[in-house]
Amino acid sequence: MKLIKFLSCVLSLVFISSYVYAITVIVPNGGEGDGLRAAAKDYTALTGVEVEFVQAPYEQVFDKAANAANTKSGSYDIVLMDDPWIPFFAENGHLAEMGPYFDALGVDGPDNDFLGKSMAICRNPYNSGPYVCIPYVGNAQMFFYNTAAFAEAGLDGPPADWDSVHAAMQKISASGSFGYVLRAQEGNPVVAQYMPIFWSFCGKLFDENRNATVNSPEGMKALEFFLKLRDVSPPGAASMNQEETGQYILQGMAKSTINWPNWVTNFEDPSQSNVVGEMTYAAIPSGDCAGSSEIGHWALGIASASKNQQAAFDFIHWASSKEQIDISAGRGNPPVRFSTFTNPELTSQAKFRHFPVLMEAINYSTPRPRHPKWPELEQVFGVYLSKAVAGVMSPKEALDKANAELDKILK
Amino acid sequence: MFSVFSADKYLRFYLIIPAIVLLLLLTLFPIVYILYFSFFEYSSNVDVPHQFIGLENFKRLFVDEAFHNALKNTIFFTVVAVSIEFALGLGFALLVMNFIEKVSIIKTILLIPMMIAPIAVAITWKFLYAPFVSPFNHLMMKLGQAPILFTSDVKLAMPSIIFVDIWQWTPFIFLMMLAGLASLPKEPYEAAQIDGASAWQQFRDLTWKFLQPVIIITLLLRIMDAFRLFDQVFILTRGGPASVTDTLSFHIYKVAFRFWDIGWAAAMSLFMLAVTLTISIWFVGKLNVEK
Amino acid sequence: MLKNNLKKPIVFLSIVFALLYTLFPFLYMISVSFKVKKDIFAMPPKYFNFNPTLEHYWYTFFDQIPFFKFMINSFIVTSVSTILALIIGTLAGYSLSRFRYPGTLKYHIAFWILSTRMMPPIIVVIPIFIFFSYFNLVNTRLALIIAYTAFNIPFVTWMMRSFFLDIPKELEESAMVDGDTRMGSFRRIILPLAKPGLAATSIFCLILAWNEFLFAVILTETEASNTVTFAIALGVSQYQANWGYMAASSTISVIPIIIFAFIVQKHLVRGLSFGAMKG
Repeated sequence: MKLIKFLSCVLSLVFISSYVYAITVIVPNGGEGDGLRAAAKDYTALTGVEVEFVQAPYEQVFDKAANAANTKSGSYDIVLMDDPWIPFFAENGHLAEMGPYFDALGVDGPDNDFLGKSMAICRNPYNSGPYVCIPYVGNAQMFFYNTAAFAEAGLDGPPADWDSVHAAMQKISASGSFGYVLRAQEGNPVVAQYMPIFWSFCGKLFDENRNATVNSPEGMKALEFFLKLRDVSPPGAASMNQEETGQYILQGMAKSTINWPNWVTNFEDPSQSNVVGEMTYAAIPSGDCAGSSEIGHWALGIASASKNQQAAFDFIHWASSKEQIDISAGRGNPPVRFSTFTNPELTSQAKFRHFPVLMEAINYSTPRPRHPKWPELEQVFGVYLSKAVAGVMSPKEALDKANAELDKILK
Repeated sequence: MFSVFSADKYLRFYLIIPAIVLLLLLTLFPIVYILYFSFFEYSSNVDVPHQFIGLENFKRLFVDEAFHNALKNTIFFTVVAVSIEFALGLGFALLVMNFIEKVSIIKTILLIPMMIAPIAVAITWKFLYAPFVSPFNHLMMKLGQAPILFTSDVKLAMPSIIFVDIWQWTPFIFLMMLAGLASLPKEPYEAAQIDGASAWQQFRDLTWKFLQPVIIITLLLRIMDAFRLFDQVFILTRGGPASVTDTLSFHIYKVAFRFWDIGWAAAMSLFMLAVTLTISIWFVGKLNVEK
Repeated sequence: MLKNNLKKPIVFLSIVFALLYTLFPFLYMISVSFKVKKDIFAMPPKYFNFNPTLEHYWYTFFDQIPFFKFMINSFIVTSVSTILALIIGTLAGYSLSRFRYPGTLKYHIAFWILSTRMMPPIIVVIPIFIFFSYFNLVNTRLALIIAYTAFNIPFVTWMMRSFFLDIPKELEESAMVDGDTRMGSFRRIILPLAKPGLAATSIFCLILAWNEFLFAVILTETEASNTVTFAIALGVSQYQANWGYMAASSTISVIPIIIFAFIVQKHLVRGLSFGAMKG
C-alpha cells in the first residue's frame, strides 16, 4: 500500500504540466532570437497573449522545426527561419499560406514598405506565388573593411573591384596583420562566404535545365580567387565559422571580411571590440560581373501543422509592423522596411551608418536557389569547397566532384 | 502485494515480464520501423508519398563515399583511442597499484572525467581547443605564433577528438585494471620469484594471463562505446573539417535530421546494428552466462 | 634497492601529474565562468588577475533561460526513471538469478537484455520519436522517463542478478520452510541484504539519466521537458558561442555528479563492469 501511495505521488510529479501558452515560437540563439523575444514581451503586455519561446543553436532550429513538420506534431506555431531553409519548408507544404489571413484584414498582402527583394523570398514560387512568411531580419552580406588599414595600403575610395582590393590585402598581410579573414567551415558557412564571390565572377549554380554548373570556367575562376583570399587570411580558414572570424576582426588582427550585418553591432560595441568606429561597411566588390551579396533574411512563418494559426498570424503581423521593425532595428537586427532604413533617428547614429549601404545591398542581392533540397545541396557543396580551402583537394577536383554530387541530388 | 504471486509456478515469468515489455518497446519497434523504411525513399513533402525503392539503400552501402569515410573514421578512432587508453590505463595501474589503495580520494578524483556528462566533457575541451580562449593558444600567441586550430586543422582534428576520449576514459581502464590487479593470487608470484623469474617474465606469464577476463570485459565495453561516439563530434567539430571527424553516429544523425533521407539513414543504422550485435554476442559469450 | 628508492618518487610524481591533468580542464572552465566577456578573450590572458563576476550565473538562472525549470525537469526525469528501473530491473534480476527456465531460454533472454544496452542510441532515436508522437508524448517528461527507464533496465537487471547470486539461496529456502512465501522472503530477507547493490546501481542510473544528451535534445522541444544537458548545448551557436554561459551551465551540471562520484566510489568497479567483477 505504501508503495502504491509512493508511486502515485511520484507519478503525479510527472504530470504537473506547465502553463499552457497561446503560441510557441522557435528561434535561434543570438541577436535575431533575442530581438523577437524582447518584442514578444511587449506583445504579451499589450494583448495578454502568452508567447513561449524555444531558443536553440542555429543548426538545431532547422532540425527541430523540420522534425516537428515531418511528424506533424504542431509543437511550434511560428518558426523564425533562415532564408536557405525557406524553400524546404515552403515546397514541402510545411508553411501555412498567409493569403487568407491578409484577406481577413482586408488587404492584399504585406504593405509596400517592405523592400522588394525582402518580400520576394517569402513567396513560393519565388517572387510570384502566395506569401508563406514575412521577412523580419534584413540580412544581406556586406564587405567590412578597416578604413585606415586599407587607405594605407593604397585603396583610394570605396572598394570597387576585387583586383584592387586584393592588392591592398596582400600589402596588409605582408606587414603583420591579415588582409582578410575567410570563413570556410564546411557546409553553410563556406557556401555563404563563397556565393558573393562566385556571383561576382559570373558563376551560376544551375543552368535552365537544373543541371549543376559549379565547375564552369567562371566557377573555376571564382574558386581560384577564393583561394587567393585564403592566402591572405589567418591559417585554419577551413574550419572557421562566425565566432572565429568575428574575433579576428574584433581584435583588429584581420582587416576585412565578408559578413552579415548583425555583426555591426558587435564591431561597434566597446565592451567587445577593439575597432569601434574604424570599420567601413561597403557593397561587395565586383569581379567580371557586378558584385552581389547573398540575401540571408530571417523570416517568420506559420507552421501548417499549427493549431493556433490565427493567433500566430496576429503576432507576426504585429511584430513586422513599422513601429516594431524600428524598435527591432534599434536592438541591432537589420530591418526589412524602407521607412526604417531611411529613418533619420536611426541613420543619424554612428552604429547605424551602414543602413544606406545595406539597403542597396539588399536591393541588388541575389537569393540562394529556391530548391527544397537546398540544405543537402549546400552541405555537399560546402564539404568540397572546404576541402579545396584546406588544400586536401585541388580546385578542379573539388569542383568536378561537387558538380557530380550536386547533379545526383538534383537528379 | 507480493503475496498474490507466492505459490505461482509462473512467478519467475511474472517478475521478468515488465522488463521484457519495456525493452521490446525500445528494441523491437524501432528495428521494425527501421527495417521498413530502409526500403523506401522518405519524402518530406506532405503531398508526396514515400517511394518504395527496394534494395537501393542497401546497395548504396557499398558505394557511398561519405558512408565509407564515416566508417573508416569510426574504426580508426576506435582502434587508436582504445589502444592508447588501454596502454596508459594498464601501465599506470601497474605503476601505482600498491600505493593508491590507501588514498581512495585520489582514485575518485581521477575518475571524475568519466562520470560527468559527455557533453560537459566536450564543452570543457571546447574551451581548451578554441583559438582565442585556450590557454595553449594564449601561449602560442605570446610566443608570436598563430593559434593552433585543434578542431579546425584537417590533420589535428581527429587527434584532438582522440585526446579528449583518452582524457575521459583512461580512468575507466585504470580502475578496472587496478581492481583486477588487486585480486591477483599471491602464490604464483612467490613461486616465480623463488624460481628467479624477472619482472617482465612475471608480467608476461602470470599477470597478463590472470588479467585476461578483466581485460576482455574492459576492452569490449570501451570498444562498444567508442564505436558509437557522438557527443564530442557534435560539440567540437560537427564532423569537420572536411569530414575527417565524421563518425558513423554523427553521419547517421546528419543524414536523418539534416537531409531527411530516413531510408538511407535506416540502412546505415541496420549496418551499425549488425556490427554491434556481432560484438555483443562475443562479449556475452565471454561473460559466462548460466544456461 | 635502488629501484625501490627510485620507484616511490616516480609513482608520486606520476600521480601528481595525473591529478593535474585530470583537474586542469575543469579548473580552467570554472575560471572562465567567472570572467567578464572581454577578459575571456583578453590578450595577454588573465588567469588570476581578473575581476570575478557572477554575471554568467545570473544570466543562466534569471535571465532569458529558464534554467531552474530545466533543473527541475532533469531532477524529475532522473529520479522517476531510476526508481522505475530499479523496481522492474530488480525483479527481473531476481528472476534470472534464482529460477530455472525451460531450455536455453534464460541464456537468450539474458543476452537480449544485455544487447539492448549495446545499441547505439542514434539508431533508435527517430522511431522512438515517431512512436511517442503518435501518442502525443513528444515534449513531455513522461517520454524521457520511459526512454531512460528502458535504457537503465538492462544495467539494473545484470547488476542485481550479480548481487543476488552472491546471496546464498539457503536464506530464502529456510525462510520458506518456516512458512514464509517466496516473495515474502524476498522482501524481508533478500532485499535488505541487497541494499548496497541497490544503492550502487541506483547511482549509476541517476548518472546516466542526468547526463543523457541525444534523447534529451530530440524528444524535447520546449521548457515543458527540456533538461539540463539540452540547456548546456544552448550556448553553442553558429554565430557567437556564449562562452561564459557554456562555462557556467556546464559547471552547474557537473557538480551533482562530482558529489555522486564521492558517494559511489566503493561500488564503481562493480557497476562499470556490469556486475561481472567485484571491486
